[in-house]
Amino acid sequence: MTAMTATHFSFETINRGLPAFARFCTYLGAIAGITAYAMYGPSGYGDEGLLYFLTPSSFAWIGIGALAGLASGLTTGMTKPSVTEAKVALNLVSWLDGALMMILLAAFWSALEPSQSLITYTDQSNLISGRVIMTMNIVFLSSALLYITYLFAPASIVGNLATATAWIGVYSGGSALLLRWYESYLLSTEIGHAPVSNLYEVFILLFCITTVIYLSLERRYQAKAMGAFVMALVSAGVFFGIWLSARGHADIKPLVPALQSYWMKIHVPMNFVGYGSFAVACGAGMAYLVRDYLEQKGGNARLLAIFPSLDQLDQLAYKAVAIGFPAFTLATILGAAWASEAWGGYWSWDPKETWALIVLLTYGAYLHVRVSHGWKGRSLAWWTVSGFLVTIFCFVGVNMYLSGLHSYGRL
Amino acid sequence: MKMPVWFKPWFDRLSSMSLAIVLLVLLALASVIGTILKQNQVQADYLTQFGSLWYNVFLSLGLFDMYHAGWFIGLLGFLMLSLVVCLWRHTPRMIKDMRKRKVIIADKSLQRFHHLKHWKLNKAELTQTIETVRSCLSGWEQKTAEDGGKTYIRADKGRRNKWGYILVHGAILIILVGGWIGSQYGFRGTMTIVEGSTDNTISFVKGTGTGHLKMPFDIRCDDFFIDFYPTGMPKAFRSTLSIIDHGKVVVDHKKIIVNEPLYYKGVRIYQASFGDGGSDIQLKLFHLGTGKIETVKTKVYETWRDPKTGVSLEITNFRPFNIENMANPGEPKEFKDLGPAVEFILRGPGLKPVKVKTFMRPFVMKGQDRGNLMLVSLTGEDSDYEPFSLGLDFSQPTDWKLYRNFVDILKKQKKDNSKTANFAAFKSAMSKVFGNKRPKNFQQIGGRVIQGMSNLSQVPWPFIPVLEDYDQVYYTGLELAQDPGMNTVWVGSAALVIGLCIMFYMPHRKLWLVLEKKGNNVKISLGGMTTRNKLDFEQEFHELLTKIEQGFDSSSSEGSAT
Repeated sequence: MTAMTATHFSFETINRGLPAFARFCTYLGAIAGITAYAMYGPSGYGDEGLLYFLTPSSFAWIGIGALAGLASGLTTGMTKPSVTEAKVALNLVSWLDGALMMILLAAFWSALEPSQSLITYTDQSNLISGRVIMTMNIVFLSSALLYITYLFAPASIVGNLATATAWIGVYSGGSALLLRWYESYLLSTEIGHAPVSNLYEVFILLFCITTVIYLSLERRYQAKAMGAFVMALVSAGVFFGIWLSARGHADIKPLVPALQSYWMKIHVPMNFVGYGSFAVACGAGMAYLVRDYLEQKGGNARLLAIFPSLDQLDQLAYKAVAIGFPAFTLATILGAAWASEAWGGYWSWDPKETWALIVLLTYGAYLHVRVSHGWKGRSLAWWTVSGFLVTIFCFVGVNMYLSGLHSYGRL
Repeated sequence: MKMPVWFKPWFDRLSSMSLAIVLLVLLALASVIGTILKQNQVQADYLTQFGSLWYNVFLSLGLFDMYHAGWFIGLLGFLMLSLVVCLWRHTPRMIKDMRKRKVIIADKSLQRFHHLKHWKLNKAELTQTIETVRSCLSGWEQKTAEDGGKTYIRADKGRRNKWGYILVHGAILIILVGGWIGSQYGFRGTMTIVEGSTDNTISFVKGTGTGHLKMPFDIRCDDFFIDFYPTGMPKAFRSTLSIIDHGKVVVDHKKIIVNEPLYYKGVRIYQASFGDGGSDIQLKLFHLGTGKIETVKTKVYETWRDPKTGVSLEITNFRPFNIENMANPGEPKEFKDLGPAVEFILRGPGLKPVKVKTFMRPFVMKGQDRGNLMLVSLTGEDSDYEPFSLGLDFSQPTDWKLYRNFVDILKKQKKDNSKTANFAAFKSAMSKVFGNKRPKNFQQIGGRVIQGMSNLSQVPWPFIPVLEDYDQVYYTGLELAQDPGMNTVWVGSAALVIGLCIMFYMPHRKLWLVLEKKGNNVKISLGGMTTRNKLDFEQEFHELLTKIEQGFDSSSSEGSAT
């Protein structure tokens, strides 16, 4: 590498062109390698679950796949440079980078784990994931404080710190979940399962997904003022999570037979993409209402200058619903597919199912009034806020007040 | 096709979006009622909960089986009708719009565009400018036309966006049709089969009652197996089933578990639940009055009655494992299997009915035998179980012997209640049971007997029932379902997701370019519009502007854009 390119080296250059494209191909190769190992590996994927993928031979398959991906990426990229401009690769590569970083972080935490003889099911307080989650709680709370501070003291350092802490929160939450996945296998192979099986675990997932959706909107549309509202919602969730863990819901528990299915790993996270985006839409709606109120009062020009315009906030709320609605629809369909394999029918009018339908109807009506009746502004902002209340009831309220087939997340 | 005049306003109303929104909101509200009011419960439960007046009101509204009530089905039917009319009305126009793209645009309409940009290129050639612009628009579907000396270029992205709308609305219709087929021609019900026996009838909820349906084949439960985690939670349960069709075994010893159903002749057979299938139970009754030990043989779900005292035991359940957390709250959990236990309701003249769980083995803590334990619930609820220590270890014959002898000797010397007299009585009971050879653990036995003396005197029953032996048999709870509409629902679901993605992520973006040669110069106007996702379009439009301007700069170094 010449001196000139070295001085011009920045994160921008590795996220464009050939470096990005080659990296993308490497990830694809690694994913192909792990898939091939699961399907055609020596002993076959079975009861070992996650541990099956944490063996030297698994790493060899992943490594070979990654190398093959890198080689093919470099050759196609160099022979036909126009390929490297492909939007899909450029958009996905940073997500894959993040996923890799999360895995590496979890691997790092796992090195700090106490020795196997000290790990017991009955006392899980010495596991590292608990500490990482505590860190995540603190980081998310300070991020919310920073975002709120930014509204009143819009110094760029405050804004940058707010964004940075939000990202740190996401990475600690995500890596803590990955670590918890691994820890469940440390407790015992038969207990081991993906960390999406109870309310405590999915709450952490929800914080991370909500924050990630918000941050990607922030990066694309420079809507930092919205962060105060979204992160305030996340903070409320953090307090609920702390309460849950104080009530003893934070322990890793074995899976009941009904949850022992690959569908759990698909259906549950998909649902939380929906919940997370509706939370972000609610944040945008709240920001809209506050700005609207400020404008009518004719107040604080400095505060107004930080907020995105009413039109932008309206669009951002729509944007979030546009992510959440298809995701939640897909999640509900996936749930129906699972139900048809486990409960004897794709639809049972179980309270959780019915409330998922109510959520879809609520946002479906939102989209209709928006598109056909040309509703805009304040009434729709209220709609996103109250729609999120319906969503919260679907998520937590059903578990608290209504019983049914979905009673895994009982309080 | 022409429609009658009278029908037209109704047709308009049915396809109106307001109706659709009202229907969506109504369905949502109705669904809320259905989740708050527990559906398909026993009639008696509703009566006690609401009283007869409200019971009758709710019953006539069909609220106890709301999702199958006429008005709810009607609401869904209305939604279907509205969807059909809506699609009928809009689809042809949308398809026409997607096919025909108007290239020539009036100047007035162009000026109204939110995204608009004008350029004037000096000393430029029209054909070359067109070339430049068109190459900048690679990736856009282009169409050109000329009219009145002006060249029009129309460029589209996501031109098939309206297909998203058609797919989504069609998909919901398909899903509803699939659901309707399932409800008309499908069934779903439960069947409980005791290990080793055969059954062929399912039962299902029908309003607030139960319906039955005979299957065209028999199912035999060959075996049932259950495995527990160390915490006592069920880890896996599995039935081995055989299907007998017209006397022939067509499926032989097939294992099913939760999440992995069996499929036969269009019927899916699911592992749903399990329970005691009427295990053989042998109890030992230690009569407190006479000291006699009686052996009783009965079964789970049967009631044994003592002819002399009139006391009855209604056996409700048996469990071979009873794993409890022995730690105090806040301490690390400590799981312990208390062994096999049988549950029964004890009734008798002058006795308060209670629910009791009695064990086979004594309770051992820290290596010390603490004697037998019983759990007693005064309310009959499992959550109200309170432990009651009996003191004696009933599995050791000497415990009971020593206790009886002690009681007898004490009775004989009833006048003297002093400590020394009691001790002497105990000593003579000891030597009566053990002679000169006292066992090594006689201190423990003595401790248990003295504990038993005080605890057993509190028992109001004529005897202490202790589990002696059992022969366990499970029943497997199966769910049988047939749904001919299911595949229709999956097709609809796939269409729904694809449609939503097209609708949200491939918005229709339109650009019009108008180029006009004026003397030495070329005048260019670019207008853009979109229906959805305006934020992204704004960015895209600006990126396009820079790209086009760069194109102008490089194609003619002399020309300048203004």
